[in-house]
Amino acid sequence: MAEYVHNNNQAEAASDTPAIIARGVSRSFGPRKAVDDVSFELPEKAFLSIFGPNGAGKTTLLKVLSTLLPITGKGSASVAGFDVKTQADELRRRLGIISHNPLLYPDLSAEENLRFFADLYCIPNPEERIDELFEAVELKHRRYDVVRGFSRGMTQRMSIARALLPKPEVLFLDEPYSGLDPHASEILDSLIANIRGNHTFVMVSHDLDKGLELASHALILSRGQIVLYDKTDNIEKEAFRGLYRKVVGLGVS
Amino acid sequence: MPALKATGLDALHPVLPNISSWRQYKAILRKDIAQELRTREMVTSMGLYGMLVLVIYYIALSQTGLDFDVTRIAAGLLLLMIVFTSMLGLNRSMIHEHDQGQLEALLLAPIDRPIIFLAKATTNLLFLLIVQIVVVPVFYIMYVSGSLPVQLGEIVPGPWWMIALGLTIGSIGVAGVGTLLATISVNSKGRDFILAVLFIPVMYPLLLVLVAALNAVIGGAVGFESVFWMNIAGAAIYNAVVIAAAFVLYDFILGV
Repeated sequence: MAEYVHNNNQAEAASDTPAIIARGVSRSFGPRKAVDDVSFELPEKAFLSIFGPNGAGKTTLLKVLSTLLPITGKGSASVAGFDVKTQADELRRRLGIISHNPLLYPDLSAEENLRFFADLYCIPNPEERIDELFEAVELKHRRYDVVRGFSRGMTQRMSIARALLPKPEVLFLDEPYSGLDPHASEILDSLIANIRGNHTFVMVSHDLDKGLELASHALILSRGQIVLYDKTDNIEKEAFRGLYRKVVGLGVS
Repeated sequence: MPALKATGLDALHPVLPNISSWRQYKAILRKDIAQELRTREMVTSMGLYGMLVLVIYYIALSQTGLDFDVTRIAAGLLLLMIVFTSMLGLNRSMIHEHDQGQLEALLLAPIDRPIIFLAKATTNLLFLLIVQIVVVPVFYIMYVSGSLPVQLGEIVPGPWWMIALGLTIGSIGVAGVGTLLATISVNSKGRDFILAVLFIPVMYPLLLVLVAALNAVIGGAVGFESVFWMNIAGAAIYNAVVIAAAFVLYDFILGV
């Protein structure tokens, strides 16, 4: 694995202002270290794809960076220029998350869900923004229907609308394509393509092709540690696949 | 999706909006009420459970004989029913936030954690009071005013509004403590068990003063007013301390 060093310097060089800085970030659950001394910098408006086997710490890393889990120990991290420990509220205003879990209230209508989150983020003129998003995710015709009755694809589109409501600077995508039908995948592709220029993305994925196609930076995690971090331009695809297969083969035990 | 750019979807906020805790508080309240109106899960289950407890009381008391004065234990029976029905509903209130990761979405928003506590406790209080409006009059008719053939003492109970006031103050404590404990237990495997185990010991001082207050009103003995007000003051102090503690600790309890 010698040729796949943690090439942080190369990745950093792409931009002056980092959108995400992680320095010695660790997160333990009892004696088990889910994330172990992770350090990297991601430039603004970059797209980072994080790969790794199940249990490698990908989702835990996202949760730490999104303030949902505190850092264990001395490490530090900032997202959109705000420290995850001391400036969590400022950070949350600039962050959107799309996860495989929809994070929606199934007994409320699509409109009620978006209205609720618009109020939580204190969005001015929420009606206008909600209309805009319903149009974007092609769910205008279902806006008064209860989310429980939505297909997986429609629920995920609603989840995208929820995440984009506050116009976040940074978007975390945790396996966003999982369980999507081709149409919903297309909509997600299109949404990402359209907003990509103004946002920083971090996506956790098991799909190497999709992840590499979208990414400007790639990171492989195994057993909570970075195995590789580099710009995708510097990565030779076949060698990357080989490394990924090797890492997945190592498992998490 | 050619219309996307035209909608300005990709444009960031030039200036971030001001955060209004009041707007966030109202949003959670409105959301919880809309959810309950649609599912009727909490109020219906608590109401039905309360009625069933009354039936069980009736069965149990039917064997006590005619020389047993039910009014002497009526306050305790009333609070027992309220505690049991509350535990059922309070558990549901946080499970609604947990099933599909909604609590995470709530925690990702720029909202002060104590606002979440206040809003959840307010909706829990509202639902508890709605259930009590239905169940307590039935209890009153059965065990206080003597419409059913259980043995009642030769007493004239104090005014009903004093009972209502006592129950409202008690419900504030139940909703406050219950919301806090439901939050602690929601992420654990044995959440039903944990809530029940923690709820009664934490509520013990409140239950003690409330039983004394309500017993004085239902008993209607000379000077019951002073006993009532003294114990209600105790209950109010308990509520203030517990709610202030919950307000301060909620951040820590949520772990973020």
